[in-house]
Amino acid sequence: MSDNKSDAHSWRKVYGLVLSLFAVEVVLLYFFTIRFS
Amino acid sequence: MNRLDYLVLIATILAIPLYGLWRTRGSPSLGQYLKGDSSIQWATIGLSVLATQAGPITFLSMPGQAYESGIGFIQNYFGQPLALIVVCAVFVPIYQRLKVYTAYQYLGERFDRKTQLLGAFLFLVQRGIAAGITIYAPAIVLSALLGWRLDLTIWLAGGLVIIYTVVGGTKIVSITQRYQMIVILVGMAIAFAVVVYRLSPDLSFEHTLSVAGKMGKLGAVDFSIDPHKRYTFWSGLIGGFFLALSYFGADQSQVQRYLAGGSLKESRLGLLFNAAVKVPMQFFILLLGALVFMFYQFEKPPVYFNQPAYQRAMASGYAPQLNALQTQFDNVFTQKRAAIQAFSSESSNERDQAATRLRELDVQAHELRNRTKAVLEQAGVDPKSKESDYVFITFILQQMPHGIVGLLIAVILCATMSATSAILNALGSTTAIDFYRPLIRPNASDHHYVIAAKALTAAWGLIAIGVASFASLVENLIEAGNILGSVFYGSILGLFLAGFFVRRVSGSAVFFAALVAQTLVFVLFATTNIGYLWYNLIGCAAVLILAPVLQRIIFRGTDAALRV
Repeated sequence: MSDNKSDAHSWRKVYGLVLSLFAVEVVLLYFFTIRFS
Repeated sequence: MNRLDYLVLIATILAIPLYGLWRTRGSPSLGQYLKGDSSIQWATIGLSVLATQAGPITFLSMPGQAYESGIGFIQNYFGQPLALIVVCAVFVPIYQRLKVYTAYQYLGERFDRKTQLLGAFLFLVQRGIAAGITIYAPAIVLSALLGWRLDLTIWLAGGLVIIYTVVGGTKIVSITQRYQMIVILVGMAIAFAVVVYRLSPDLSFEHTLSVAGKMGKLGAVDFSIDPHKRYTFWSGLIGGFFLALSYFGADQSQVQRYLAGGSLKESRLGLLFNAAVKVPMQFFILLLGALVFMFYQFEKPPVYFNQPAYQRAMASGYAPQLNALQTQFDNVFTQKRAAIQAFSSESSNERDQAATRLRELDVQAHELRNRTKAVLEQAGVDPKSKESDYVFITFILQQMPHGIVGLLIAVILCATMSATSAILNALGSTTAIDFYRPLIRPNASDHHYVIAAKALTAAWGLIAIGVASFASLVENLIEAGNILGSVFYGSILGLFLAGFFVRRVSGSAVFFAALVAQTLVFVLFATTNIGYLWYNLIGCAAVLILAPVLQRIIFRGTDAALRV
């Protein structure tokens, strides 16, 4: 049970990391748009 | 193309399937044939998922799309990382727990047989047509520009895919996609480097990007809330989310890719790899198109990129009109070059004036291309695909060194084969597992179902080639392919989300809600011009709203299953 809980916790951290990466990608694209438009 | 190009092309497209056939030799069980085996790891799954989604349209049409309208299309992918996380958290564990071969078996477990068949049927219709378009779209362009016979191109690309997909099943699809995707990524990286190298030395790279931006090619993010705009941040994030959720969660051609993994962890990591790399990858492909646009601001482009169609019109008595348009186009090109030179000026006032002038000239050039197209139509020359699809391939054929030309044609054919093999594999599996096994031969041996799945995969391959052979009857196929998914995906996703999240609802209520939702999307598609990504949200929301309503009003007495 605790293995399952820690596993779920680890996956939540991975999802958070991927989401953060996506947010950075969008922000960079936004700066790119502002810089070159 | 010279001999070196043909050598690179043939070696690349044959070596990968031959290696795949060697790796998958022997007689697979039903599980191995439909789900691969546990040795497939996340990197292969990730590349396989990437290759299935990309397809030839990504590498042939996307640069042309950016050339024509800029890189705003990137926003269509904004919903994808979020959707992939939901698929990892909700869909994959359920599929792994139920040990299903197809996504639609879940609908049978959760609701009833007719709902399973409806989901599978909607998938088969939509993907059966899409498989034909996937083969046809590159075949029409390559045959026109390289002088290959269209029917032979379709049969060669389609025939090779059918043979190895039928023989090797899911495992060979995953293995070949891995290497095909590596060829594609290497080829596109080389293409990007060559385009940058071939840009005019008169402008720095930064100035080149500034000019492209001033000409409206580098607007990656647009926060407009106008629903009629096709590509905005919001339509990409919301509509794109539902499109991606449906595509990755409920489309068997993708589900089969990540269920090929040995464990939940491998499946999830393969999908999250896609969540991380998809937006940057699409950005570079679109930027490549914008840079090709800048290349053609210094090197005179043809007034119409589909040169075979243009030459046919010239030969059929329309040369005087076309020559007159060409002269005007040449004049506009010369003025554009002069305006771009002004960008090197130190004075910001001069640069602003040059930007305004450039935009005006670009509108004139666009108008001249439209008038050329009108003359071609008047001449009865039917190019059968968008002119922008010819931009990147023309650049490859005219500007790339030999050897690289062969590699990049191989990229387009690898993309065609990888996407088509995944679709055929899924169509054959779904027909065998969701229709043939329960309805025609319920209690046969595993070996029998492997043979049935192989025969059905081959049959779908022939149907796809048939669709590709008659596809020229439909105008603007590539756009049709994009829209087709959005028209069907909303209802399919609604079926799955109702299963996961709506507790007291029966199969009958969900089934009829999906039928009504699908009809509603058809009506909206025929009568309005809203951006097609919104159909995903509308179809899905209609199922989720209507199913509980129908349950209360019409199916009150029926068993509303609670299983999730």
